[in-house]
Amino acid sequence: MLQYVNVMIDGAPVRAEKGTSVLDTAIHVGVCIPHLCHIPGIHDMGACRLCIVEQVKNGRSKVTASCTLLVEEGMVIKSNTDKILKMRKNIAELLVAQAPNSKAIQDVAVRCGVKDVRYPFRNEDCVLCGRCVRICKERAKANALGFIGRGKDRHIDHPPGRLMDYCKNCNGCIMFCPMSVTPCGGPMKKGQERLCGQCDSQLNADAQKMPGVCVWCELGKGFQCSRYLAV
Amino acid sequence: MPRVSHAKDLEIIRTQVDGKRNRARLEMVIPNGTCCQASGSAALIDAVRAELARQGLLQDVALRVTGCLGFCEQEPVILIEPGNILYCHVAAKDAAEIVSRTAQKGEILEQFLFADPVSGKRIQMESDIPFYKAQTRQLIRMHRFVDPFSIDDYIATGGYKAIAKVLAGVKPEEIIAEVKAAGLRGRGGAGFPTGRKWEEAHEAPGDEKYVICNADEGDPGAYMDRCLLEANPHEVLEGMMIGAYAVGANKGYIYVRREYPLAVKHARIAIGQAREYGLLGDNILGSNFCFDVEVARGGGAFVCGESTALMTSIEGKVGEPRAKDVHTVKEGLWNRPTVLNNVETWANVPSIMLNGAKWFASRGTDSSKGTKILALTGQVKNTGLVEVAMGTPIRTIVYDIGGGPKNGNKIKAVQTGGPSGGCIPERLFDLPVDFDALWDAGSMMGSGGMVVMDDKTCMVDVARYFLKFLQDESCGKCVPCRVGIDRMLEIVTDIAEGHGRPEQIPLLQELAETVAEASLCGLGKSAPNPVLSTLRYFIDEYTAHVHGRQCPAGVCKALITYAIDAEKCTGCGVCLKSCPHDSITGEKKKVHIIDAGLCQKCGICISECKFDAITVK
Repeated sequence: MLQYVNVMIDGAPVRAEKGTSVLDTAIHVGVCIPHLCHIPGIHDMGACRLCIVEQVKNGRSKVTASCTLLVEEGMVIKSNTDKILKMRKNIAELLVAQAPNSKAIQDVAVRCGVKDVRYPFRNEDCVLCGRCVRICKERAKANALGFIGRGKDRHIDHPPGRLMDYCKNCNGCIMFCPMSVTPCGGPMKKGQERLCGQCDSQLNADAQKMPGVCVWCELGKGFQCSRYLAV
Repeated sequence: MPRVSHAKDLEIIRTQVDGKRNRARLEMVIPNGTCCQASGSAALIDAVRAELARQGLLQDVALRVTGCLGFCEQEPVILIEPGNILYCHVAAKDAAEIVSRTAQKGEILEQFLFADPVSGKRIQMESDIPFYKAQTRQLIRMHRFVDPFSIDDYIATGGYKAIAKVLAGVKPEEIIAEVKAAGLRGRGGAGFPTGRKWEEAHEAPGDEKYVICNADEGDPGAYMDRCLLEANPHEVLEGMMIGAYAVGANKGYIYVRREYPLAVKHARIAIGQAREYGLLGDNILGSNFCFDVEVARGGGAFVCGESTALMTSIEGKVGEPRAKDVHTVKEGLWNRPTVLNNVETWANVPSIMLNGAKWFASRGTDSSKGTKILALTGQVKNTGLVEVAMGTPIRTIVYDIGGGPKNGNKIKAVQTGGPSGGCIPERLFDLPVDFDALWDAGSMMGSGGMVVMDDKTCMVDVARYFLKFLQDESCGKCVPCRVGIDRMLEIVTDIAEGHGRPEQIPLLQELAETVAEASLCGLGKSAPNPVLSTLRYFIDEYTAHVHGRQCPAGVCKALITYAIDAEKCTGCGVCLKSCPHDSITGEKKKVHIIDAGLCQKCGICISECKFDAITVK
């Protein structure tokens, strides 16, 4: 039998299924917490840190990622305090400066309120969100992809260094890769990177003025935003 | 090998060892830890042993090879008892003289005595040396009595008495209450109350629990855990046994890095001996407590010192941290309740159980009790391992124990806690060594590294050094730590190389604050500390780099120029010959000139010039 717990997300009392994450619960009730590495139904690793929230416990608040935080009875979550919004914006800025050639990341940056990028662009091909690795492991059950190396050398590769025959050619890794859709204006060449920001107008509701309401934006449509998947 | 099945057996071993020791007229203690071996202690030990045999003194003089005694700067050393005489910087060739004169005739050889760098006087007794005088040596003091290869030595110092006492009828709840009352806090960095950790693990459901000793010490310049594990491994084992009994664990791991081969070896030998004596295994000391320990070797990744990364590493997976919303005391190693403590924390446990919480809590401040071992390095006269009571002001450590600045320069700051710690400026040196006081000052105790920096150190350069270290050692799993550190390093490098922009300083601050809060694990969360603390206390150096395009300490190469002071230069030509880039020209007896275009700012000329004629601006 399903067990339920009561949690408070952004001031709204929510009945959540025991064992689900705070992020899943929030999305389910329409609180859109921006996220990148999360895929519904797949284990979360907490890599992108965009879904950070404040968990208030005994009067003290702690910042933690909502995708790896499981709901508990009496939990108090704040997903859009000024502090969280500022940090989320900073993280989104880091991501978009790292890999501007992704519609998903450009969308997330707009959604998180990034107005300008204060770091030099890098135009990399991978932000190590690990979506491909986890899809390969958990949905295709192939384990043909993995993280190799540490720190700056960390990258995604086939663990022995070459494509093995246990890859099932399911294309799951490509489908779920945030880099697979380029920004609307087409791929940006080196030196031409910019913050796309064109979807700004689609943010028809200001998250700050309407707390706890998913803006139901068109952003991330090409990128299987959890809301689109759920509908 | 006798099997110890009762507390009385320990007593028998103790009297046996004491009897053996009383037969010797003189004791020579030669430390042989990793640091000692690096300065040549192994050759000295061989030479002394051969010389004792040659002169027929093997019965008269007991030679004991121990772990490091702390004064690493003076190694290799010989400590002679009775008399508490310390000979410093002894070479293997001196063995014959020392054995024939000191061991045979009891003469004291002036030339080997410690020469105080402050007063210049020779000091005979070890306890009179200022380096040792201001210390409160609780753990390090035991090292001289114990040969790490001999379990009997440890038993002779009262070892395994605490576990015998505990197993004779102390309840786990009572142990936890005692450790709580003692106020012992984790020595590994964060200072989490040990008693509370044990209590949570004790209360966590599950019949299989684990205890782990974290010896994955990775801070640059810190080596107290290595030293403790090398010198007195049984003390750590005993602490783990008590902890395991308190939480209900039957299995323990010592996680030690492969780069510490001697610590691995000593820990393994200690475990082997304890097993032979029946002190590890089933039904320890006749009770129904069963416990065994294994050594798990790590590859030497800094991140594996983080609790969850360490546990995944023991499980055989890639050492990466995971979210810690559920604490490891509930779901740790193999998702079982696990207590992870630092080497020094475990080593403190036996004495708490033996002497009581009151005795332990008598030292220290309100919130931090007991003693702490610090690795004092950097620009001070005396360096080495220092054990002080909590609450000792930093000033005492730097000036009294450390002997003050090395080259007559002014001391500017100390960096505590390694890459996760911060820099504390000289004006705050009255701060006590205390978990909370250091935390409030923007630094942390960390594992206890203490690097003293003088005014020839550029704080921007220091921040850059630690960011580089962290960039290499970040596991790379989460964005704020991996990309954030990379971007912070980019900004700090810009500033150090002279193309920093004013808006980059607030950006650096903002980014550092984000990384500190949003990162996945404790290492990422503390990674911006070097940046945040230097921004807090040395913002004028950052602004000097950005606005004035100057490096006040004369370190950042892009911002300094070398010149020759015409008044001081005698035209001796030493700098001209020593310059590897041929950038100095000049005739004999005439003022020399540095070609700024060719100069690579390597600093060789400064160290060669006897007249201080080379200036850096």
